[in-house]
Amino acid sequence: MSWQAFVLTAKLAFLTAIILLVLGLPIAFWIAFSPRRWKFVIEAVVGMPLVLPPTVLGFYLLLAFGSGTAFGRWYQHLTGSTLAFTFSGLVVASVLYSLPFAVHPMVAGIRAVDPRLIDAARTLGADKHKIYGQVVLPLAWPGLLTGVVLSFAHTVGEFGVVLMVGGNIPGATRTLSIDIYDQVQSLHYSAANQTALVLLLFSYFLLCLVYGLNRRSFMWAGR
Amino acid sequence: MSVLEVQLSKTFVPGRLRHFSIDVEFRVSAGVTVIFGPSGSGKTTLLQCIAGLLRPDKGVIAIDGELVFESVKKISLTPQQRRIGYVFQDLALFPHMTAAENIAFGVRENGNRRADLVRDMLERFSIAHVAEHRPGEISGGERQRVALARALVTEPRLLLLDEPFSALDDSLKLEIIFDLKQWLEQHRIPVLFVTHDRSEAGALGQSMVVMKDGKIGAA
Repeated sequence: MSWQAFVLTAKLAFLTAIILLVLGLPIAFWIAFSPRRWKFVIEAVVGMPLVLPPTVLGFYLLLAFGSGTAFGRWYQHLTGSTLAFTFSGLVVASVLYSLPFAVHPMVAGIRAVDPRLIDAARTLGADKHKIYGQVVLPLAWPGLLTGVVLSFAHTVGEFGVVLMVGGNIPGATRTLSIDIYDQVQSLHYSAANQTALVLLLFSYFLLCLVYGLNRRSFMWAGR
Repeated sequence: MSVLEVQLSKTFVPGRLRHFSIDVEFRVSAGVTVIFGPSGSGKTTLLQCIAGLLRPDKGVIAIDGELVFESVKKISLTPQQRRIGYVFQDLALFPHMTAAENIAFGVRENGNRRADLVRDMLERFSIAHVAEHRPGEISGGERQRVALARALVTEPRLLLLDEPFSALDDSLKLEIIFDLKQWLEQHRIPVLFVTHDRSEAGALGQSMVVMKDGKIGAA
């Protein structure tokens, strides 16, 4: 297994999961609580990566990163380089690609909080921040943690978007899944098997964690 | 001496719920008023409108002459602004907090004063021994007491009780009602006590209104 690809993948997944926690939480709160009728439009945008071929997302991201768009020019002006085929570009792509994996469990976790508890908090004088911080978040945390873990795992496993946006540059954009593909292409099956096995066990471990967490969340329900 | 004046109507659109409306008018002063009626008669809806959790279509709700809701002038205070204590039918205790934390939740004061208020309520309602336990770890009667203490520690101007004792056996029920009555002797506020149980109504109520099909009739 390529140690370099391992470190790169871990770094990418950590960054993506943390960004998605910060970015996904307000989106999840909005989806869970907004009374707007058109919110399904936003929900559909968030859910797009679930059904979109990764190559399609990657293709449009490449276009967006290029100097043909205002965003691409703005980023180049700011940093002096393009986002395409860089680690930063991978982070942006991963955040978008894993967005539903973070947001959906978070929304589910927030919606699972008994609305009566929110009513009770309101009659006790709690403002929005107190209700979110002291009632909703502590009760929705299994959903929030599931969102973070799933977005981490999903980023570790992504392939199509990485290949489209990042290419295959060792140390910059070559992740573990690309590394496996590379090894198979060059007929190094035992090396590919080693990496694949690590990813397999890792995925299983993470899913055990997710299901375990959600089982524990019934703890409060034992009233 | 506090007074609650209510005149309101609310209709639920057919399709989502069965067609249902409430249309009530009454005035109560300090002391316990029992709202007695079969389930489905609109008692909970009425309490939710008074607390500000539901918005009436039209009408007036005033506590001590202060308008908390007035449809023509478009006044509608939030539940937070109304300062109304509400004990829910299922109690709605915060399951992740201890009894003491539940009671402290609505307390505005900080530091020692906060701790004193909470301790006082724990003792007054005989639940000091479960202060550090979560709702899932204590008995039904103790949970009821925690819910009552949580609502009362904020010194509300009005107390709404939505069948909070219906799950208890009679002796426990009477003990809690006794504690509540003692508290009310020192705090002269109106209490609306919703129930469909005649024995409860008799034990606590000084006056009674009967609600049926969303309307208030003669007792």
